[in-house]
Amino acid sequence: MIKVCDLSKKIGDVQALNNLSFEAKDGQITGLLGPNGAGKTTCLRTVFGLLQADKGHAEIDGIDVAKSPIEAKQKLGLFPDPFGLYERLTPREYVSYFAELNGLSRQEAKAATQKVLTQLHMDDIADRRCKGFSQGQRMKTALAQAIVHQPTNIILDEPTRGLDVMSTRVLRDLLKELKNQGHCVLFSSHVMQEVAALCDQVIVMAEGKVVAVGSPDELCQQTGKDSLEDAFIQLIGTDEGIAA
Amino acid sequence: MISNIMTMVRKELIDAARDKRSVMAGLYYAIGTPLMMCGMFMLLIGQMTSPEDLNIKIENSDNAPDLVKYLSSKGITHGDSQSTNDKGDQLDVKDIRLVISDDYAAQMAKGLSAEITLIADNSNEKLQKSIRRLERNLQTYSAEMGSLRLIARGIDPRVVQPIKVNVEDEATADSKGGVILGVATMTMIYAVFISGMNLAIDTSAGERERNSLALLLSHPVSTRNIVLAKVFSVTVFAMIGLLLTLIMSKISYAFVPWQELGFTVTISTEFILLMLLIGLPIALMAASLQLFVSFMAKSFKEAQSYLTLVLIVPMMLSMAASYNIAPDTLQWLPVSGQQQALIAFIKGREIPMLQLLLSSVTTLIIAIGLTLGMEKSLKSEKIVFGL
Repeated sequence: MIKVCDLSKKIGDVQALNNLSFEAKDGQITGLLGPNGAGKTTCLRTVFGLLQADKGHAEIDGIDVAKSPIEAKQKLGLFPDPFGLYERLTPREYVSYFAELNGLSRQEAKAATQKVLTQLHMDDIADRRCKGFSQGQRMKTALAQAIVHQPTNIILDEPTRGLDVMSTRVLRDLLKELKNQGHCVLFSSHVMQEVAALCDQVIVMAEGKVVAVGSPDELCQQTGKDSLEDAFIQLIGTDEGIAA
Repeated sequence: MISNIMTMVRKELIDAARDKRSVMAGLYYAIGTPLMMCGMFMLLIGQMTSPEDLNIKIENSDNAPDLVKYLSSKGITHGDSQSTNDKGDQLDVKDIRLVISDDYAAQMAKGLSAEITLIADNSNEKLQKSIRRLERNLQTYSAEMGSLRLIARGIDPRVVQPIKVNVEDEATADSKGGVILGVATMTMIYAVFISGMNLAIDTSAGERERNSLALLLSHPVSTRNIVLAKVFSVTVFAMIGLLLTLIMSKISYAFVPWQELGFTVTISTEFILLMLLIGLPIALMAASLQLFVSFMAKSFKEAQSYLTLVLIVPMMLSMAASYNIAPDTLQWLPVSGQQQALIAFIKGREIPMLQLLLSSVTTLIIAIGLTLGMEKSLKSEKIVFGL
């Protein structure tokens, strides 16, 4: 479970987060929906302890990230934006490296890596260096890294950017599977279909604040619109920065 | 905790070993520098031991066969532009003319002053040394002739030499070699700074540029361990560079004709071990310094330009030690202190233990300080995201 309470953060002169509070529950996929510049990435980075909040705190399974960063991070998997691949390593080395950093022994890390590589159908590229990978191959490598140590909570920052239909499907199926296994999945996005198709709960963000919370259907009902897209525009009051 | 440092060091080394740029940077230096030094020493020794022959134009040399013989015994001979030496190479004839007057022989015979004229462009810097050399030799010859005349007249020549200057050259073989030894050890110490430099930039500024720094920091690893792992990896690279440099030096220095200087620089196994031992704290300092600076820089390129500037400091310390500038102060300072100890070891003198210990401890303290500084800076959002 990921819980964010009263988070405020100023970057330069911009109030990136403004008393942001929400909760992402286990066994659910929570979508953080907002236009570009709404503070989605800042929020996720704060949850990871990369940025320090001016006010408020973030909890992972009840552990305060700012107070016990290592314990909190052990319960997290991150699919970052941008991916941050090591181009000179192979996916097998890359994934197993991060598995070891998460406390797995070398043997365990190797076994876990093999498992996740098979799960993501990556056996054909597992021993090729990441340099020159396609966007889909990069996505899979980053995703494998995020879930290899079986964290209870998985955070994905804009996971479907630049992916083709096939890769998007792989990602979607995996997220659903994680949800069914009882993981807490939190992802940020500005793509409506994706959010509508996947999320149990949508948190609509604008200008660092939560504008509305609810399932896609609830949001439509709340605003009296037929589609999530229309509901979203109604909620944030502008159509700036939205990808259909 | 320790195991995750090991994991990171292993990954950094695999990553670096696959990075051609990092490997090449170390290799070029380790292989190239000892060879270049070897060539330079050969030239230097050649110049130090045998003064070159001086070829000038001597006119009317028939009038003064004795003088000409004397000069040629001092390596000063007549030559014209077509002359060649024994090997058949064209001679380098200096634009200096020595004109012996027509009445030279007659004047000499009469015991009067015989005239010779030295014609050269005194403002020509390149000729200065040769002109001085010729003048000095002519004066000596003149003094010798004068003494002979006095003796012929039954007068002790010492009456015209109220002061007899005795010059004793105290330069021993090994003090002459001081600069050479200094430069040789300097290149070895510098190997530590050069070999790890590319890796240091790659793993700090480069890591941030590739966006993997934020990812790494998002994992349950303490910042201290990340910093330590990076410092150790760069140190390992630096030490490998040093070892290679030492091996290359051991091989190539064997070809330098040291015997002409009266001493030898042999890179013995003991020296290699001592150098590696002394080099370790320096390598740790070099690694932390380079990482610290690169983390401060916004990009790979910026880090490269900063580092080039920063590396001048240890270079200066090392240079100063090589040229024996302020040796009393320098023996206590990092880099130069260790270098003086190494020079003492090659010269077969006693190693100044206290100074070596103190400079090594200072080196380590600097390394620890920089590492802690880096740990702190990695907690800053500005550094992590390059804001």
